[in-house]
Amino acid sequence: MEDLTSQTSLSCGEDLAAQRLSDAQLLSRFADGDARAARTLTDRLGPRSYSVAIRILGNRAEAEDVTQEAMMRLWQIAPDWVAGQAQVSTWLYRVTLNLCVDLRRRRRPTALEDAPEPEDGAASVAEQMQDVARRDALQQALDQLPERQRQAVVLRHIEELSNPEIAEIMDISVEAVESLTARGKRSLTAILAGRKDELGYENG
Amino acid sequence: MNWGMKMADQDELENLFAQARQDRPALPEALAVRIETDAEAVRLARQAPAPKTYRRWWQDLGGWRGLCGLAAASVAGVWIGFSAPSFLPDPADYLVSQDASFLVADLNLDFEDLEDTE
Repeated sequence: MEDLTSQTSLSCGEDLAAQRLSDAQLLSRFADGDARAARTLTDRLGPRSYSVAIRILGNRAEAEDVTQEAMMRLWQIAPDWVAGQAQVSTWLYRVTLNLCVDLRRRRRPTALEDAPEPEDGAASVAEQMQDVARRDALQQALDQLPERQRQAVVLRHIEELSNPEIAEIMDISVEAVESLTARGKRSLTAILAGRKDELGYENG
Repeated sequence: MNWGMKMADQDELENLFAQARQDRPALPEALAVRIETDAEAVRLARQAPAPKTYRRWWQDLGGWRGLCGLAAASVAGVWIGFSAPSFLPDPADYLVSQDASFLVADLNLDFEDLEDTE
């Protein structure tokens, strides 16, 4: 009889992903000592944090460190997580962005926000980075955007999050998100057009 | 011409976004292992028996909830001590008035004794 009970609880725990448990439920299971919940959460949330970090930082090694640290904070907060306070993914995106900001500040003392025009200093920014991801045109253009515009554009157009969710992640209004993404896209278009001119491409 | 250029540039940006969405990186295996190792370390640390320290003493006391109860009981005790309900005799008042009546009685007695002797 005892064997039967333990077998049932084991098989229940083994297939957490298939049970369609929410992220918050998995986090609660992890806090209760279920190691398999951590694996499912890593599979679900790790790639999201990593994808954003790569696009914000333009550097894979740094993005890996940021993702590991963001997930570490998730493990640590698990017992204190209040169900319904926010989506776990929203929280993780926010932590990831904050870690990226910290890292960029440490990396380059002169904040990008101080640059009046995105075109300024484009070459020097690109030269500093050696990562493969930096070589693609979009990444080079993203690197030149002010921090908040880059965050909003990446979350909206690469992560495909909704404006209300981005607003919650960035702790601003939906209108502010719309404004940031619109300005970000205008700047990106200008940067890409300028880049084509520099390279002597034909336009239209 | 200018408008056409602008539209073409915007289309190019949309194409780059679409490509970036397609090329979203998978979590590197080594990173996944690092993350899960962290999770396991946190999980095991939490499961390990807590050393008998301040934290243990605090938990035995009942944590914040226990301390709040203790504080409330103490305050109530002090309050009742100072302002007892009307249906109960005030022990402090009782003691003071008794002492006083003894003193007055003694004095009266003394005076009467004096008058009688005179």
